[in-house]
Amino acid sequence: MKNAAEWFTTIVRHLGIRPRRRVSPEALFLQFRDVLNSTNRSLEIITDIGDTLNGDYLFDVQYLRRSYGDLSASLERSLASFEKLTSGRYPRLRTVHRSIDENIRRAIDGASPQRRDLVVFAGDLDDSSANTVGGKARNIAELGNRLGLPVPAAFIITTQAGGAYLRHNRIQERAGLTGEAGDGMPYEEMQELILQGDMPAELGRAIERGLRRLRKSCDSDCYLAIRSSAGEEDGDLSFAGQFETVLNVPADISAVGKAYRKVLASLFAPGPVAYQRRFGYGTADMPMAVICMIMVDAAASGVVYSRDPQGAKDSIVINAAWGLGTSVVEGGADADYFRVSRGDPARILEQHIGAKASLAVRASGGGTATLPVPVHARTRPSLSPEQVAGIAGLAMQIEQHFRRPQDIEWAIDGSGKVLVLQARPLRMPESLLQRPARPAPEVPEVPIARRQGLSVHQGTATGRVFILRNPADLARVSRGDILVARHDASQFVRVMADVAAIITDTGALTSHMASLCREFRLPTAVNTGDMTRTLVHGQQVTVQIDEQAVTVYPGVVDHLLDRGGAGSRLMEDLAEYRKKRYLLRYIAPLNLVDPLRDDFTPKACRTLHDILRFIHEKSVAELVDRTGEGWQSRRAVKLDLPIPAGIVLIDIGDGLENAGSREQVTAEQVASVPLRAVIRGMVHPGVWRSEAVPLRANDFMTSMLRASDIVTDGAPRASASVAVVSRDYVNLSLKFGYHFIILDCFCSEVARNNHIYFRFAGGATDITKRSRRLQFIAGVLQEQGFSSKLKGDMIIARLANIGREEMEARLDVLGRLISFTRQLDAMLHDDGAVERHKNNFLNGAYGLPFLRGKQMPRKDP
Amino acid sequence: MNKHKIMVIDDEKIVGDMAKLSLETDGFAVETFLNGEAALARLKEQPFAVVVTDYKMKGIDGMEVLRTVKKQHPGTKVIMITAFANLDAAIEALRGDVHDFFPKPVKINELKASIRRALEK
Repeated sequence: MKNAAEWFTTIVRHLGIRPRRRVSPEALFLQFRDVLNSTNRSLEIITDIGDTLNGDYLFDVQYLRRSYGDLSASLERSLASFEKLTSGRYPRLRTVHRSIDENIRRAIDGASPQRRDLVVFAGDLDDSSANTVGGKARNIAELGNRLGLPVPAAFIITTQAGGAYLRHNRIQERAGLTGEAGDGMPYEEMQELILQGDMPAELGRAIERGLRRLRKSCDSDCYLAIRSSAGEEDGDLSFAGQFETVLNVPADISAVGKAYRKVLASLFAPGPVAYQRRFGYGTADMPMAVICMIMVDAAASGVVYSRDPQGAKDSIVINAAWGLGTSVVEGGADADYFRVSRGDPARILEQHIGAKASLAVRASGGGTATLPVPVHARTRPSLSPEQVAGIAGLAMQIEQHFRRPQDIEWAIDGSGKVLVLQARPLRMPESLLQRPARPAPEVPEVPIARRQGLSVHQGTATGRVFILRNPADLARVSRGDILVARHDASQFVRVMADVAAIITDTGALTSHMASLCREFRLPTAVNTGDMTRTLVHGQQVTVQIDEQAVTVYPGVVDHLLDRGGAGSRLMEDLAEYRKKRYLLRYIAPLNLVDPLRDDFTPKACRTLHDILRFIHEKSVAELVDRTGEGWQSRRAVKLDLPIPAGIVLIDIGDGLENAGSREQVTAEQVASVPLRAVIRGMVHPGVWRSEAVPLRANDFMTSMLRASDIVTDGAPRASASVAVVSRDYVNLSLKFGYHFIILDCFCSEVARNNHIYFRFAGGATDITKRSRRLQFIAGVLQEQGFSSKLKGDMIIARLANIGREEMEARLDVLGRLISFTRQLDAMLHDDGAVERHKNNFLNGAYGLPFLRGKQMPRKDP
Repeated sequence: MNKHKIMVIDDEKIVGDMAKLSLETDGFAVETFLNGEAALARLKEQPFAVVVTDYKMKGIDGMEVLRTVKKQHPGTKVIMITAFANLDAAIEALRGDVHDFFPKPVKINELKASIRRALEK
C-alpha cells in the first residue's frame, strides 16, 4: 500500500508537474546570467538579419541559412538555460518554438507547407496550416482567433486543394501551356476549363464535411459568401477587387462547387494576371485558396479605412449603405460618408449622408437583388453615432494589430452587431506615410545636434518635436511628430504608425523598442545623450539618421528628405524579395509587449522575438521568487543603518567589501550597486518616520484581523527582511509591520540586461486606505517610467532596459518610496490625499501634517 | 546620354533582381544572368562596362568569368561577390585583376560606389 506521500508523488508525476530543485542563490544567479547572455546574442543576430533584409543589401539563401543557423544555435542555448533555471516548467515553449522554426526553415528554402489539408476551418487555423489558406483568410482568422473580434464562421478550401483541382483537370496541359506565363498564355481557355472541370472526389468530400459543420453555425437557412484568398492577397499586396466574390450561395455541394470554380478561374482573368505580373509573379506561381463564410443578413454594410487616404490628419473614413456592401465596395452607391477622429471614443468630424436610392439584398434561393430604398430611409444615416464609433474602434484595433493602415469590410446584422468580413492593408500615398506636408522655409544647415547616439533605423524625417516627459502623455502625440524621450520603451508601439521618427536619450540597439522600430521602418536613434534637453518641445526639426548616428537640423531641410528608407520600398516590388523578407514575420515582430498581462504565455508567442521576451521575463520572475530559497542555512550579516530597517545581507558575489567574518556591516561596506542606491533613498532625510502613526479604530481592528493573513499568505521570508546581493544584483525582501515588499534588480553597464521588479502588498489599515496607498505608489512609479499592475491589495511594477545611471536614480526613488509609504496608508483619509501626497513626494516634500519636525536626521551612506 | 551597361551574374535570382532594380534606379542599364554559360554567351555579342559576378557557381564559376572577360574585353571591370568569403578566394581573384571583392551580404550603396569607381578608371 502506498502512503500519502507516495500517492502525492505519483499524482505529481502523472500530471507532469516537476518539483523545483532547490539551488543556492549563487547557482540560480549564474543560471540567470546564462539566460541573459544567450538571449542577448540571439537578439543581436535578429537585429543583423533585420538590417540585412531591409532592402539595402544583396543577400542570398546561403546568408539566410547561415544566419538562421547561428540564431537557432543561440536560441537553443537560451531555451536550455531557461529550462534549467525553471526546472522545465514551460514545456509548451518548446512546442511553440518547433512550430515557428519549421515555418522559418520553409520560408528560407521556399518549400511547400507540410500540411496537406484540403479544407481548414478559420477557427482551427494554426501556424502549420496558415501558409495554405492565402493572405485574406489568414488575416480574417487572425482577427477572430487572436483578437477575438466578431467574424462570421468560415472554412477555407486551401491552396493545396486549388493545386489538386488544377492537376486533376490537367488544366495547363489541356490549354497547351508549356512555357512561362506571359502575353501569349491562353488565359480565357484556362478559365473555361476550370469552370467546366470535374471536382476531385476527395476535395468534394472535404467540402461536404466542411459544409455539414458550418451549417451548425447557421440560425436557419444557410447561405455563404465565397471569396478568394490568393497567396499574398491582403498581405503585402492587397489585390483589392481583383478576384471574383460570389455572394449568398446555398450551402450545398453543387452550388458551392460552382462558386468555387468561378473564384478559382478568376486567377486567370486579365486584370489579376496584369496585377500579378506587375509585382513579379508568373500567373502559375500564385496559389489560390477560397473562403466559404456564412453570409451575413446585413442591415447595413460598408468599408472603413483606418486612415484617411486623402491625408486628413488623425482621421478614419467610413463609407456605409443599407443592405449588403456590394454597392459600397464597388463604388456604385451614393453611400453615407463619415470622417471620424482617431480618439477614444471616436467622434464624427464630418459626415455626408448619401441619397441611397437602392440597396442590395440577399435574393431568396441564392444570389443578390437590388431593391429601392423606402423614401423615408434614403437620407437617413445608415449608422448611428454609436455604431460609427464602434466601427472606428475596430479599425484602430485592427490597424494596431497588423501595424499598418487597414481597409476593412464590415456588416451589421439584424441584431445590430458589427461583424468584420475582411481586412487588407490600405496603400497610402507615399508622401502621406513619410511626412506631413508642412510648408516651411528652408533653413541654413547648421545642425542643432551633430552625429549623436546610435542608429536603429536609417531615414530622414521632418516634424514637430514632442518631448515625452510622462508616459501618460503618449496619447497626446500627433501624426508626424518627432517623438523624443528620455528612455526607449516598447510601449511606444502605440504611436509608431503615427510618428515621423523616434529619438531617445538612453537605450540600446537590441532593445524591444529598437526591434519594433525596424519592423515599422521608422527612422530611430537611441542613446543620444541629452536630446530631451537639446531639443525644444514643439520645435520644427529635420532629423537625418544614417548608418551610425543622428543629426538634427532646425526647420525643414527639404533636400535631405527624399532619401531614407528608399531601399526597402523599392524592393517591395520584387516577388523574390517579398518571399524572403516574409520569414522576418516569424522572427522579428514583438507581440508580447506587456509582461503584466494575463496572456503573456508561451501559447501567445508567435515569433522568436516573443520567445526571447518570454524567456527573459520569466527568468526575472524566477529570480524574484527563488533567490531567497534556503537562505536560512547561509551566513547572513546584519546591515547597520541609521534607520531601524532590520535588514540582513547574504552576499553571493562581491556584494560586500571588507566584511570579513563580521556579523554586522555598515552601509559603506555595501558594494552592491543596486542596494547602495536603494539604501541611499531609504535614508534620505525626511522619508523615514520612526514614530507610530495614530490608527483609527477600524484600522486597529483590521490590523488585528489581518495578523492571521500575514502568516499564511505565502509571502517568502515573512519572518525577516533579507537582501541577497552581488556586485550588480539585489533581491530585497522587506517585511514592515503588515506589509511586504520585494525588490529584485539587476543593474549593470549593459542596459539590455537591466531590470527592476517591485512588489508591494498588504498593510494594517482597512482595504480603502490600503488601496489608496497602492494608487499613490502606482502614480509615483508611472512618473518614473514603470509599468504596473494592481492585483487585489498588491501592486507589481517593472522597468527594464535602461542604463546604469538611470537605474540608480530609479532605485533611489524606490528607496524613498519604501521608507515613505511605511505608514502612509493610515494618513490617506480621502481620495484627494492620494494626488496631494504624490505631488508632494515627487517635489521632495516628505513631511506629513502630524509628523512635522519629527523625521529622522540625514545620514547618507 | 548612353547608359553604362552592367552585367550581374548570380545563380540566385534574388541577387540579380535586387541588383538590377537598385542599379537601374541610379541610371545604369542592367542585364542579369543565372549562370556563367549564358553570361559569357551574351558577352560575345555585347561588351559591358562592369561585370558583377558571384564567385561560386555551378558550371562556369566566377573565376572563369573573370578570366574570359579579361581576355575578350580587357577594359571591362569585374566585381566579385561571394557567400564563401575567405582569404584564398580573395587573393585568387585579385591576382586575376578583379576590381573589387565583396562578401555577401553586399551593401548596395557600397557596390554602387565600387561600380562608379570602376567607371572612373
